[in-house]
Amino acid sequence: MADIVRKRVVSVEGATVRERLQAMDDSAVVTAFLGGEERAFSELVTRYQTRLLNFVYRTIGDREKAEDLVQEVFIRVYRHLHRFDRSKKFSTWVYTIASNLAKNELRNRSRNPLVLFQTVQKNFQDEDRPLQFEDPTSRPDDMYRKRHLREIVEESVAKLPEHHRNVFILRELEGKSYEEIAEITDCNLGTVKSRLNRARNSFAEIIAPYVD
Amino acid sequence: MDCREFNEQHLAFVDDTLAGIELVRMQLHVAECTSCAKQDAKIRRALLLFRNLPSIEPSADFSARLEARLKASQNDNLFLTTQRNLRRGAIAATVASAMMLGYIGTTLYQSDMPRDLVMPPVVATLPEPDFTPITTSAPAIVTSVSAGLTLWPAAVFAEQVPVSFANSNLELADYTR
Repeated sequence: MADIVRKRVVSVEGATVRERLQAMDDSAVVTAFLGGEERAFSELVTRYQTRLLNFVYRTIGDREKAEDLVQEVFIRVYRHLHRFDRSKKFSTWVYTIASNLAKNELRNRSRNPLVLFQTVQKNFQDEDRPLQFEDPTSRPDDMYRKRHLREIVEESVAKLPEHHRNVFILRELEGKSYEEIAEITDCNLGTVKSRLNRARNSFAEIIAPYVD
Repeated sequence: MDCREFNEQHLAFVDDTLAGIELVRMQLHVAECTSCAKQDAKIRRALLLFRNLPSIEPSADFSARLEARLKASQNDNLFLTTQRNLRRGAIAATVASAMMLGYIGTTLYQSDMPRDLVMPPVVATLPEPDFTPITTSAPAIVTSVSAGLTLWPAAVFAEQVPVSFANSNLELADYTR
């Protein structure tokens, strides 16, 4: 009986801590983690895993590798969080790590044709997936149209030069401010604006023939 | 506003960060310039498509894999730390052993030697002042040196002067005599 009561108390405490962490902003969660609250790290993972995955996936175009890289981001965060300058935004720091890893991945891929081949092959296999995995509620022709459009958009983004694409995704998908993008990509504000302007124009030009 | 200015301001126009007056000027330009209006529409439509891309979710085993990698990473860290500490310990032990051996060696070597080496006391005496008598030619040398001649010519000259002159006492010159 006492055991059951103790378990319940522990689980209620756990739930309370989780709720408390959920209500905190990033900075407070980081402080909690550095103060020894291990559950704070799970909260950070929950907050950023999807956003980072989308960012990395749109940058490198390989879903499986994107997951690996996002995991690497979290491992680095876990290892080096004590070095993080808490006067700055946690999200900017995390995106900087993710951006650098994605950049390295693209660089390695361009140097190693085997990796490129594997990626192409993987993407080719993805094409063979049955349509029902896309959206079971839609009609087949709608599903095809949507999937086709999605592929066109993704391919168009992939055609942008790497440094333009990075800025473009951070702004249009992640909604980062110019200043944050400048910090993440280690560029000045003018460069960010110029790259974003060019990326928008190029993307519009690439995709126009498909959607007109 | 011309098309060039419109293109320069377009980034802020799309992001809705223009000040009121600038925004109105841009809107007026779009209304009157077909080419810029077309370009504006093309960019906005493309952005709309991109922003509405379906979000992808992490796979079901993402958290489990991350946890496993974190544990492995912690173990690696622990292993590395242990290895580093062991290495440091080994270096410290080697240094300590070397110092100990050195100390023992020195102690043994010193034990063979007589501990106190008794030396006879050193008695230093002041040497007697050497009053070497001035040679017969010495006054001539002295006088020649004071006259500004070098020593050797003076000595040669002293050799040549009559001994009586060399042995004479120096006196004050008396020109009245």
